[in-house]
Amino acid sequence: MTTALPTKVQPGADENEQACGGPLLLLIGSGLLWLVLGSALALLNLIQIYTPAFLADCAWFTYGRLQAMQETALLYGWAGNAGLAVALWVLSRLGGAPLRGTNYIVAGGLFWNLGVTLALVGIAAGDAAGHAAFQLPRYVQPLLLFSFAAIAVPGVLAWTGRRNASTYAGQWYAVAALFLFPWFFSVASVMLTFAPVRGTLQAVIATWYAQNLFSLWLAPVALAAVYYLLPKLTGRVIPNYDFAVYGFWSLLFFGCWLGGRHLIGAPVPAWVSTMAIANAWVVLFHHIIVFFNVRDLFRSGSGTVMRFLAVGTGAYLLSAVVDTAFSARALAVVTQFTYFQQAQGQLALGAVALILTGSIYYMTPRLAGGVWPSVGLIRGHFLAFAIGFVLLVASLAVAGWIQGSALNDPAVSFAQISERTKVWLQLATAAQAMLLAAHAVFALHFAKFIVGQMAKCCAARPLLAAEVTVS
Amino acid sequence: MKNGPLFFLGLFSALGISWAGLVIGINTQLGGLSPYFDEAQEAAFPARIPGIAEQGLRVYRDLGCASCHTQQVRRPGFGADQARGWGERQSVARDYIYQSQPQLGTMRIGPDLANYGTRAEEAGRTPAAVLADLYNGHAGMPAYRFLFAQRKLDGEPSAKALVGGAPAGYELVPTARAEALVAYLLSLKQSYDLPEAMPYEPADSTKEAAQ
Amino acid sequence: MSDDTIVAAHDKAAAGTPDTHAQYRILPLVLLFVFSGFIFYAGAYLGRYSGRFSGEIFDERQVPTSGQPVVAAIDPLVLGKRQYALACVTCHMPNGQGVPNLYPPLAGADWVTGSEERLIAIVVHGLKGPITVNGNVYSAAAMPAFGQVPGGGYNWSDERIAAVLTYIRQEWGNEAGPITAQQVAAVRTAHPDRKEWTEPELLALP
Repeated sequence: MTTALPTKVQPGADENEQACGGPLLLLIGSGLLWLVLGSALALLNLIQIYTPAFLADCAWFTYGRLQAMQETALLYGWAGNAGLAVALWVLSRLGGAPLRGTNYIVAGGLFWNLGVTLALVGIAAGDAAGHAAFQLPRYVQPLLLFSFAAIAVPGVLAWTGRRNASTYAGQWYAVAALFLFPWFFSVASVMLTFAPVRGTLQAVIATWYAQNLFSLWLAPVALAAVYYLLPKLTGRVIPNYDFAVYGFWSLLFFGCWLGGRHLIGAPVPAWVSTMAIANAWVVLFHHIIVFFNVRDLFRSGSGTVMRFLAVGTGAYLLSAVVDTAFSARALAVVTQFTYFQQAQGQLALGAVALILTGSIYYMTPRLAGGVWPSVGLIRGHFLAFAIGFVLLVASLAVAGWIQGSALNDPAVSFAQISERTKVWLQLATAAQAMLLAAHAVFALHFAKFIVGQMAKCCAARPLLAAEVTVS
Repeated sequence: MKNGPLFFLGLFSALGISWAGLVIGINTQLGGLSPYFDEAQEAAFPARIPGIAEQGLRVYRDLGCASCHTQQVRRPGFGADQARGWGERQSVARDYIYQSQPQLGTMRIGPDLANYGTRAEEAGRTPAAVLADLYNGHAGMPAYRFLFAQRKLDGEPSAKALVGGAPAGYELVPTARAEALVAYLLSLKQSYDLPEAMPYEPADSTKEAAQ
Repeated sequence: MSDDTIVAAHDKAAAGTPDTHAQYRILPLVLLFVFSGFIFYAGAYLGRYSGRFSGEIFDERQVPTSGQPVVAAIDPLVLGKRQYALACVTCHMPNGQGVPNLYPPLAGADWVTGSEERLIAIVVHGLKGPITVNGNVYSAAAMPAFGQVPGGGYNWSDERIAAVLTYIRQEWGNEAGPITAQQVAAVRTAHPDRKEWTEPELLALP
């Protein structure tokens, strides 16, 4: 289905973008630094599992702390920065106006990154909050909250000041992500850190927060990018778009109940996990609609950006199916407390990372002008990323299944379990090393691009509108 | 979707409903839990945690011990928790009311510790033995040498010093953090009975097995 | 597709195409069906395994009942072992061997595995004076009353006494039958104003 395209191209659209390019590029660049650092820490962390003596003599790098550090670097450093940049960019493009209040982005971005840095140092020094996906030391939490709010301001302005009264799915997801994060973040901060609730209530709130971090922040940002980029790349209207609105609301209303699937058999009332398992099925409705909407992704495999989005979205949908299936109590009894859950987490986060990466490849030339220095590097990055990702998830899943089956057999000792899982964890380490190399190439490529553009910028103004896209 | 305020109201209620239902709902159910007075033992359970163990909990948290050890026993028949000797009954919310931050954990790279104190007591393990495990590493667990200090022997050797861990003229003593951690580990006991934790036997167990 | 067209074209798409050709769209029905299926499954699952949203139900198969929760009774041997560790162990020792000449052994003792009434009586009301067990005389001062009797310092319920007696009758190689709370209650009520027993008085009991 094609719509008559207006012949008149928006005048100066690209100039507008370059005006707001700097702040967003700042977010992307710092996100990439965290991506490389986080992947490196994740690599060390994986090695520690089967080499307990590795880095064990240094309190700053015990397995537990290193895990909290890599998780924080990737969730808040990489996905936080990159997600904010993508959400703001989608909102500004669909709002039809350049971002206003970009100073908020710069100031907020600096403080956000300062916060993440402090968080990592704090965790290393032993100040971690001690909840999965919420390891931020207490003194960092308000800082991150206010920086996020500052960065989100231009996004809200782009929504309220949009040129069209009607809105598009990409905008809903982006606004939802920007609007909801501060709420659940502050609830978690108050109820876990500043006025902690009693006993195992903390576990309920921590899993509620971790689920929201994915369902109400990371996933919406990724979906905003997919919904925006797909029609841009194919030139076609999203098929079955009239259902997108149901997909959106079903994610929001049912997605935030899923946290309890991590508490099966835990010392919390049974209804918490039962509610999560039931909702895990209902939320699949969202994924079915997303599949119908974005199915063009899987059809035409042209262009690297498209491939990133396709693999990412595929992983996102697969992750929902896996999460639902393995939230069933009969399967959870095996996979609970094992590497399998790490594989599930990697699948979901990797999906978001792939989509964010594809978006960055698409938006950076439009923000900075010019073209990526090397198409080969982008293709190489895609291949390494995709292969490393699949390998990492698969090997962790196998290791987890072996571990879980063995744990349920009391005759198998822990030494035997580590013996049996070792080879799979080594495979996962290789995959993580591959990912690290891929991300390092990505970051260097980005740095080269930006430095080149800056040199050009200083050498010769004005700059011609860039028309070249990677895809 | 054109109606801005309604859109934001929708966003807000999506989060708000889950917050009210889950967070507030569970808070009203568990927020006011009090210890259970066991008529048979004439004592209330769980017992309060000694101050040094509370400090140990912080050490446990900041070293990230919870990334390898859980502290939650699943009910007998669901997994092999009971068969592995981790606990005779399932852990319930009341077990944790005195812990400032329960370390339920998410991974079992090592054994569950919810009843570590009970096990250590039954096996007659002294704090010194646990300290030695921390210093030397144990099975797949790394050694936590930085929790110990080597100091020059000055007069009488300390009663806490680890035997044979230091060269002549020196002694190896656990730091306050190590002692707190061990006190915390040895305080972990869920060996009492709570009414809501008693094993439940389904009326027709054949049907339940298919679940 | 430019940014403006994306919004405009999708806005039009969201309104749905007017059904001018009387085309029958199957997808909405399928989605409705699927969604209802999920809701139905979720509802059924919730109904079955939510424990009626009770804060006291930790096993999802359980359903709260009015009053006492339906739970398996405590094993008397477990309760009895705990009772033993709480009080008896100080004199009769963890191995049930007692202390020579002072506190009589329980392991292999005819008093323990023999008459139920005498055994119950000793624990409920206490014992004064020397006692002969397996041919040896033990002359410790006294064993206090554990039952809910006047002057008893422990006030253990009949259930607890039954549990600890069942325990000592089946531990350390003893192989006598269990003792019920009803038996304990019967002995307690049969001798309402009883002080500590002496050996000859006990031997008069059946």
